[in-house]
Amino acid sequence: MLKAVYYTNQFFAGLGGEELADIGLGMFDEPKGPAVGLTRQWKGEMEVVRTIYAGDNFINVDENFEAIGDELLEMVKSTQADVVLAGPAFNAGRYGVACAKVMAFIGEELGIPVVTSMWWENPAVEMYRRRVPILSSTETAAGMRKSLPDLGKVALSLAKGEPLGPARKVGYFPTDKRRNEYVEKTGAERVVKMLLRKLNDEPFITEVPLRTLDRVIPAPAVVDLSLARIALITVGGLVPKGNPDNLKQAFSVAHGKYELTDSNPLTSDNFESIHGGYDTTYASADPHRLVPHDALLALKEEGVVGSIYPYFLTTCGIGTNVESSVKIGEAMLRDLKEGEVTAAILTST
Amino acid sequence: MNKVLKRYVYKVDSVEFGEKSKLENGHLTISKRELQEAVQPLFEHVKSVDFELVTPGSDTRIIHLLDTILPMIKRTDESGRVYSGFFSDPYMVGTGSTNVMSGLAVMESCALPWDEDSASSGLLYPRDAILDMQGPIAGMTPFSETNNLVILYELEEGRSSAEYDDEIRYIGLRVAMTLAELTLGHPADYIETYTIDEVDPELPNVVLVWQCQNQGPYANTLLYGVPIDDIVPTLLHPNEMLDGAVVSGNYVWPAFKVPTYSHVNHPILLELYRLHGLELNFRGVIFCRSHNPTNWHKLRNANMCVKLAEYLDADGLIMAWEGGGNAAVDGMLTIQTAEKHGIKCSTITFEFGGQDGSEGVLLVDDVPEANAVISGGSIEKAVTLPKVSRVVGGDVMRLNKETGGFFPPADEPITFEQTIHFYMSGNQCGASKLSAVEY
Repeated sequence: MLKAVYYTNQFFAGLGGEELADIGLGMFDEPKGPAVGLTRQWKGEMEVVRTIYAGDNFINVDENFEAIGDELLEMVKSTQADVVLAGPAFNAGRYGVACAKVMAFIGEELGIPVVTSMWWENPAVEMYRRRVPILSSTETAAGMRKSLPDLGKVALSLAKGEPLGPARKVGYFPTDKRRNEYVEKTGAERVVKMLLRKLNDEPFITEVPLRTLDRVIPAPAVVDLSLARIALITVGGLVPKGNPDNLKQAFSVAHGKYELTDSNPLTSDNFESIHGGYDTTYASADPHRLVPHDALLALKEEGVVGSIYPYFLTTCGIGTNVESSVKIGEAMLRDLKEGEVTAAILTST
Repeated sequence: MNKVLKRYVYKVDSVEFGEKSKLENGHLTISKRELQEAVQPLFEHVKSVDFELVTPGSDTRIIHLLDTILPMIKRTDESGRVYSGFFSDPYMVGTGSTNVMSGLAVMESCALPWDEDSASSGLLYPRDAILDMQGPIAGMTPFSETNNLVILYELEEGRSSAEYDDEIRYIGLRVAMTLAELTLGHPADYIETYTIDEVDPELPNVVLVWQCQNQGPYANTLLYGVPIDDIVPTLLHPNEMLDGAVVSGNYVWPAFKVPTYSHVNHPILLELYRLHGLELNFRGVIFCRSHNPTNWHKLRNANMCVKLAEYLDADGLIMAWEGGGNAAVDGMLTIQTAEKHGIKCSTITFEFGGQDGSEGVLLVDDVPEANAVISGGSIEKAVTLPKVSRVVGGDVMRLNKETGGFFPPADEPITFEQTIHFYMSGNQCGASKLSAVEY
């Protein structure tokens, strides 16, 4: 028979209410509270061999949690459990966080499948949904009879070694992981169907959730250009001929830093654009179209600008995801700070 | 309006090379010699062509894939010629009778030169498009399920991109139309009738906005024989597309390019037709260009598209585009504009998200109004192609031109970090069942 370990709080373990919320870690070698129903539901395929509990206040204090970590893992390990589950926590905030936190810890440390369950507005959902499968439960314990079997069903499936199915199918909150699969209907069928549902005021859920972009606040304007040290940056893909650093033509992950010297002028003999997103003919024919070093030099001679950073920074801005863009931006910033740059001109294409 | 198109469909169940071309009871025999004679007069920049057959389920990989074409021909001369504008004046098509082969696709394969001073520089280089007839990427394209006649081109040296581009297309279309001639005089397997003349006032009116890439030789889309460089969004009857008014000249991004075959048998268009009169009124196709150069141009394009949708009394609009991030901005602005004018939208697009789907944003661009987005799958997923026993199109792949080129053997296992080289893996005309599923 498969073995499950169940985690719960002082209340569902039957010890007491709020007055015992500070109780430390403990266990019973038998099902307690909702776990009794779980063992019944599994009809001999699996049983709860251990119920672990802790008070909600106790476990939510970081120092306590750190202190009991090893003991908690040992309590699970010694049972050779096939799955560990917790909850349902409904809309109980402290219990929800306790369930999710304990499940995340056990899952990540021991590699045993874990699962819990709670109401969608429980703060633990947003905190832990990326680390633990959290099933959607009813809002209050009045829905125990619906929510507990859902939890039991998924736990049994995980204990059998079955892979966890898609979020929408199984009913857990998305972990933000997405896999390419061949689904039942073509894109054409689905895009028409979704429009019809929208037109008929029927519920529909977008397949691609919008992940809101950060808003970037522009830096304040340069007060006195004659004191500024200016850098030239381009996302137009200008590199020394032959692309010595093998910068990517699209989907960039890094930037290049190349010296602007008199001995290596910005000409088509020395530089070229490798950008994969536009016709680079004119950019390569005169690289100043991407990196206007000539114009900046003239301004320096006129005394309009203070000094020029003796390198240009470059990457290819096409198909670059935001995460890579942030990394590239941070790496550029390190170069600029090191070069004591106070202002920059960024040219895009 | 009285516009009715009858499609006489001829099933091609099996195909082989033989002395004389003929179609008998679903079995197609193709004479290479006859096809070569048919295209010989077109040769100016192409030195020669050869042909290979690839059948569904075979352990075969096709590389250097340019375009794929549906063999069809007008049943009589009275209602114009298919692929109007290429071998004829650009007379309006979309009525009368057309013979269409089902189960056969004509493919162009050619390793176009990677010249620095031609359209092959920068964006416009033809990235190697790969199709596997079985295995993990077979489902990304409808052509793993068709019999494919692959045209292999040998080019004259030193010609311009525009010259190669044009001639390859003319030869491909000629081959497709020559094969379709074999149906003439024979009874069809079945007949389909296409008309949207009747409008049921009880049903919602729906339009398709089809926004295509056009950025120069190797990256164009042609309408009645001409690239859509300066197109103002225009109205097409879906039957015009069924008869080949829109032809692809796009060889750049294998994941995103839409073959002529799929402009003709456009999956979303056919789905709208299937539901016409049952759940919706299909009111027409608004055809426009993606990759408009600035936000100002993109807004202009979006507003003109929506204006046409309003003329068609559209309640709903399906936004679909060819291309990557640049095109997505045009598409999203069109969605936003339509929703602001009370027209509800859905759309389909590839997505990013990194290998596990959790990284960064999923779309290059989005607007709050885009709340009904179908996932055509993520392009940021590693895939290992298996070894295959046969490769059609060449011995080596041609990858990573920007870093000096990488030419791995085409039949060996190879891992790609992204799906961009797999033919139609972006799934933006809705042909495949590929989707990024949330876990």
